[in-house]
Amino acid sequence: MPDKKDTLPQNDVNDVAGVEENVSNDAPQQPQAVKPSLAQKTKQAFADLGKKIKGVFVKDQVALIRDAGNTVITAEMLAGPQLSRKEKFSRFLHSQSGWLFVLPAVLLMCIFTFYPIINAFVGSFKQNYQATTGRFDGFGFENFVRVLKGDTGTGGATFLQCLVNTLVFTLVSVPLSTLIALLISVALNSIKPLQKAYQTVLFLPYLTNSLAMGAVFATFFTIIGTKSNPETPGLVNLALQAFGIAPIDWMGIGSPTWELGAISIPWAKYIVVIVYEVWSGLPFKILILFSALQSVNKQYYDAAKIDGASRSTILWKITAPMISPMISYLLITGIMGGMKQYSAIVGLFGEQMGIDYDMGTMVGYIYRYIEDGYTGYAFAGSLMLFAIIMVITAISNRISKKRVTY
Amino acid sequence: MTKKIKETSNSETVVKTEEGKTLDQTVSALSSDAALFNREITQFNVEAETKKQRTATIVKNIFVYTFLTLCAIAAFLPFYWMIISSFKTEAEYRESIPTFFPRTFQWKNYSVVLSQTGAGASFGRILLNTLVVGLLSTTLGLIVIIITAYALARINFKGKNFLFALMLATMMIPGEMYTITNYITVSKWQWNDTFTILIVPFLVSVYYIYLLRNNFMQIPNSLYQAAKVDGLSDMGYLIKVMIPLTAPTLVSISLLKFIGTWNSYIWPRLVNIPDWRMISNWVTSGFTDSAGILGGSTSEALNTLKMAAVCMVSLPLFLLFIFCRKYIMHGVSKSGTKG
Repeated sequence: MPDKKDTLPQNDVNDVAGVEENVSNDAPQQPQAVKPSLAQKTKQAFADLGKKIKGVFVKDQVALIRDAGNTVITAEMLAGPQLSRKEKFSRFLHSQSGWLFVLPAVLLMCIFTFYPIINAFVGSFKQNYQATTGRFDGFGFENFVRVLKGDTGTGGATFLQCLVNTLVFTLVSVPLSTLIALLISVALNSIKPLQKAYQTVLFLPYLTNSLAMGAVFATFFTIIGTKSNPETPGLVNLALQAFGIAPIDWMGIGSPTWELGAISIPWAKYIVVIVYEVWSGLPFKILILFSALQSVNKQYYDAAKIDGASRSTILWKITAPMISPMISYLLITGIMGGMKQYSAIVGLFGEQMGIDYDMGTMVGYIYRYIEDGYTGYAFAGSLMLFAIIMVITAISNRISKKRVTY
Repeated sequence: MTKKIKETSNSETVVKTEEGKTLDQTVSALSSDAALFNREITQFNVEAETKKQRTATIVKNIFVYTFLTLCAIAAFLPFYWMIISSFKTEAEYRESIPTFFPRTFQWKNYSVVLSQTGAGASFGRILLNTLVVGLLSTTLGLIVIIITAYALARINFKGKNFLFALMLATMMIPGEMYTITNYITVSKWQWNDTFTILIVPFLVSVYYIYLLRNNFMQIPNSLYQAAKVDGLSDMGYLIKVMIPLTAPTLVSISLLKFIGTWNSYIWPRLVNIPDWRMISNWVTSGFTDSAGILGGSTSEALNTLKMAAVCMVSLPLFLLFIFCRKYIMHGVSKSGTKG
């Protein structure tokens, strides 16, 4: 084989002729009249070499070969360059130079992303883990059990309470703000004059610092002074007074609460959070839905009008289904973001997240235990948050596949 | 046959009476259908119907504009309240019926807030911290993002697809999961008094790498081959061709990275370096008039002072949004998250 490789056609006509000779030497004696063509001979030569080729055609006495991938190449390209081992190695190194470019990112991710993920899985099973010294008392499920039972020995909101808080905030505020955003976008889409002006004002809350705006919302609800003798009851209570509703202590110690066994539902505080979440979530949703609405084909509306459909029929039977992919996108991303909310609550209720973390979210729970040095509980909590997010993602993907009509 | 003719003549009479003149026989035969149609239309009162529709449109417009105006007011009210409160005196702020324009307009709140050292550092220092950290992490982060995205988009090397898949997979994992270990890591490395702690862990952002890689992939390969023929190296191609072509995306990424630093709260609070507090941590501190400049309580946290602080933190974001709206939306509308 090797000597045959050496005689492979090179890049000019003479060398192709060499193949011709080679083939004719190996082939059984043929009568002069039926001498095989250059193409046939080349084919035969490659068959002898064990290389797969699809076809050969001859142009200007050069045999061009069609390889398995249908690319037209010369014989030299098929044979490949003859390289020494050293050359091959340096070529390999050169072809892997891409690693040099990604090296900084890979290194940083190894330290600050990949290792921490593994560490979180391992660390959540370390009992009585002391982050500063690295000491722990064997592996076990104690962290998970204690977190789930709320038996962490620190007081404050339990994991279950934080889970309920987060779920209520998210599952109320995300659909509500999506619905309001849909109505606003439909209204925006149906007007001509002043459309740009309304659009600009409605997009204003788009880029805000949640801690700063949370503090502003808190002032709307806070009663300054005592409840019985308030200096100022706050804007919301003043508005409610106009309807004859007595002032409610939205944010303070006496905030109305329903007790349901192990968990409590401070509904007044929940309303405060939901109002803020809806307000801050609207601009992005309006942006997405408004651009989706503008891309809906106007013919559908014309057809519906001819058939005498009412406005609400058009909204629910045409508009909503046409932009349902965007609605489901907003719902899914909104719920995913909502499950991880933290800073808005700190903005509204301060660094203690209400009174002794009673407004804690799941992320708030995790950070609280990092700060307090109970790293094991923080690990277990973060793993459970991850699991919950995965479950919600799976559910929402399934629902959106069923419900998205277009 | 005869019946049909009769019908035609009937319709002809209608046409006659309506228009008051006899029509040509052939024309009336041809337009018999049209004539029937016309008769139906005349029974349908066009004017009344347009009037009805016009009132419906007016009612709808009134409804739509009222709804939009209410929403616009709701969107703007917190900003308005924040601005006017920052100019009020504390006494006016606490009146039981709030004023919607400050009766006594004063800048004093701002000067009190600016002179505060309650959060461990003055506002000037904290603003400088945020700007330094923001600019450094944006610049360095952008370099890491560009070269990584370039390698993932253009260079072939073994394990590339696996690496990219692994990177994307980390996007599903909540950041809190690695914050815990990162906190332990940096405290083990004794990084407690340097600001690198605020920059290095966040240099790589997988989402931006993904965004930029997709942008790089859209640049046709023939450009690369042309650049190679002209003797440009890989690095030269990246700097001279790819970066200028993807400039809008790069601007979006830089803006979002900077806004991310401006709004970062959790990590700076956790690592808690006294000299390197960030602006979001500053805004959560209670602002008191300890020097007694405003003449009220010197120990109580005052809302007017807080509103002045909130205004100062929000204003740069506001300006950025107004001037760079296009770029910010370009980046955010794909990610579904802010900052």
